[in-house]
Amino acid sequence: MNVQIESTMKRARAYWFIDGFTEIAMGGMFIILAIAMVISRNTSQTPFLSWLLSVTGKVIILKAISFLVVILALWWLKDRFTYPRTGYVRNRITATQILIIIRNMILFLLLPIIIILTASLFITSTGSVLSAMPVWFPIGLGLIWGIFVVLAGEWMGLPRFRLMAGLTILTGITVGIWQAIMGLPNAPANVEPIILQPWLLEGIDRTLISLDLIFVIFGVIVTFSGIATFLRYRKENPQPYEEEA
Amino acid sequence: MSNSPQNLSGLDRVIHEPARLTLVALLSSVKSADFLYLLKESGLTKGNLSVHLSKLEEAGYLEVEKTFRGKVPHTEYHLTSEGKSAFDQYRKSLGAILNK
Repeated sequence: MNVQIESTMKRARAYWFIDGFTEIAMGGMFIILAIAMVISRNTSQTPFLSWLLSVTGKVIILKAISFLVVILALWWLKDRFTYPRTGYVRNRITATQILIIIRNMILFLLLPIIIILTASLFITSTGSVLSAMPVWFPIGLGLIWGIFVVLAGEWMGLPRFRLMAGLTILTGITVGIWQAIMGLPNAPANVEPIILQPWLLEGIDRTLISLDLIFVIFGVIVTFSGIATFLRYRKENPQPYEEEA
Repeated sequence: MSNSPQNLSGLDRVIHEPARLTLVALLSSVKSADFLYLLKESGLTKGNLSVHLSKLEEAGYLEVEKTFRGKVPHTEYHLTSEGKSAFDQYRKSLGAILNK
């Protein structure tokens, strides 16, 4: 009986994902972010720090605008399509809380890079770890992202999230292996401080390419999952609910 | 206190009824929900759903909020703090009985 209660509660938690709109919007956001990163690649000889600041600023602005657009679009779509068919639910977790969770996740992902970059100023042996960043970063990102997706799926009782998590982890590992096959930048043995040396800039550039690939593939996976969910939802609920005569 | 059937039925009877248990479980995971959502998710008829919602409201476990979405009247239901603690207590009691 407790199992039935739990599954009923999970059904209610998963309502935000019932129509596939959220996944389509999320996937679209990732794809747009990846395209923006490709466009912003440092192809010119702009100094690294000023390029990084400019890209970070653009990404933050783009993220804020796209997040706002996505939330408004979701409200509009759900208001006209989902709520007349299967009813309205006010969730406990608000859009602001979701934004905070995403921000904390990004900070959490950036933390190891910041620590290693800072350590590289003082410890020369971090060079080998940094030069391998194009390999370990996508694998780590895929794993963390996959674990997050699978946990969210279990919390809401959505089995399709397991498949998404598996594909995300696989993507991270594949990109990491691909980077390893391409060969890693050679870190000099004893150079201090090693931060912002050419080999490190190459490593950062290749890590950003990995990040781009993961964003695009993850975006496509999530969008496909959303489209499949939407088609099933529309088939099950073809018409808005009408009062019986 | 023994494990007599009377004690087993000491579970909160308002919540213990299967239809109301479903409604409370659904509402416990969200801030509020409207009639159509509860109707679709519970699989009850409209009449039955109204009766069960009224019983939960009478027990003080549920509150009704009448608002407007655009120009359309809209009724939302949410659990009161008493409703939430009654549901938590019910789950604990049920768990304790099942683990005996």
